[in-house]
Amino acid sequence: MTELLRFGLLGGLLGLDGTAVGQFMISRPLVAGWLAGWVAGVPGMGIAIGAILELFLLVSFPTGGARFPEGSTAAVVAVGVAVPFEGSGAVAASVAMGLVWGQVGGWSVTVQRHVNGRLLSEDIGRHTGRLGRAHLLAIVGDFLRGAVVTVAGVTLGRAGLGLADGRWPVDAGVSTGVLYVGAAVSLGILLHDLGGFRRRRVLFVLGLAVGIVGARFL
Amino acid sequence: MLMRSLLIQGAWNYRTMLGSGFAFALLPTLKRVYGKDPEELARAIERHSEHFNAHPYLAPIALGAVARLETDQVDGDTVRRFRTAVRGPLGGLGDTLVWATWLPLVAVCSLVLYWFGVPGGVVVLAFVVVYNVGHLGLRAWGLRLGLDAGRDVGARLTAVDLGGWARRLQGPLAIGLGVLSGVVLSAPGGVSSSGPAWAALAAVAFVVGLVGGHRVWRPAAVVTVGVIGFIGLWGILT
Repeated sequence: MTELLRFGLLGGLLGLDGTAVGQFMISRPLVAGWLAGWVAGVPGMGIAIGAILELFLLVSFPTGGARFPEGSTAAVVAVGVAVPFEGSGAVAASVAMGLVWGQVGGWSVTVQRHVNGRLLSEDIGRHTGRLGRAHLLAIVGDFLRGAVVTVAGVTLGRAGLGLADGRWPVDAGVSTGVLYVGAAVSLGILLHDLGGFRRRRVLFVLGLAVGIVGARFL
Repeated sequence: MLMRSLLIQGAWNYRTMLGSGFAFALLPTLKRVYGKDPEELARAIERHSEHFNAHPYLAPIALGAVARLETDQVDGDTVRRFRTAVRGPLGGLGDTLVWATWLPLVAVCSLVLYWFGVPGGVVVLAFVVVYNVGHLGLRAWGLRLGLDAGRDVGARLTAVDLGGWARRLQGPLAIGLGVLSGVVLSAPGGVSSSGPAWAALAAVAFVVGLVGGHRVWRPAAVVTVGVIGFIGLWGILT
């Protein structure tokens, strides 16, 4: 229960960073995953999950009015789901849950934004104190939204993964292989955004060679 | 005003977008200028609570310029027109420079560090510090620019050529993306550890993303979740 509460608090705080407060990008999956792992006493597992989710969400940004998957919710829920399980599918299943719950988080952000619109009345200037109060209320609401969505995700995810724990039919190599294939699409999209392979081929291939050779020395 | 600009999206909504946050960030300035005239203060707050949209990191440019105009007692309609004129460029420019370039560049470099075996805490610290040097530097520089330039902020912004900075950073990002792809492919625990078939599938998936762009992201995520869900269900039922 205490652990669930900690995940909820973290989800609420990181949810604020996504849009409402600062945007220091501590809500990115890489950071959020490590923080969630640190909260649960498994920072190594946290950043491993966060890094895979970061690969998926490299091309997802909190731009304007667009609905985007919420990276912090995805990462905290994924780590929260993975913690009690040890089977070969724990990481893959929790990342999948994180991807799903990131979308739920994105949807909840949209709802919060509609609520914010109602908090701000048309004649807000008539009462100078009202602007500050409405602003503060919206921020508190966003924190609660992030916390509730995170707790719900961890609870549901643990119940779901509990059914499959110990019964995962494939080894960890296959499970992570599926994840990497999915994440590779995002890397391709990022190169697409940079002008495509034809325009960036020299720099990209140079980097690819450095990466492959460098990895051999690890 | 710089600290308040960190909360400019605190009440983001579909009606005024950053509008109320803009007024919130400007409130101390408005109180200083119109403090003795409650009616004028109310009109100024209403004026600045109207629809406004810009990239949050570049919004301080508009905040600074508008604060300068209000301090100079420029008439309300002129301030309103100025505010409307600057919001578009600040949105597109910020999206290109920050979301499409700076953030992926720092994230890709951090992921490369992680896959090269740098301890997780160091990777996270490097990401947060490097990213926010750029982030907070941009906010502080923008506010100063706006306060200095006032209504001439457009010309000063053109001279600085932030779009050019984005283009210059895209080269290093392409190299970093290449390094990351190579490391994820070859490092221990990477795609190759799952077997050559998975490496080939990942290469095909990369090409799908390269050709399809953003429209294939969601289908790819759905397929990934679907396959993992199917594996889990298969385990439960057998």
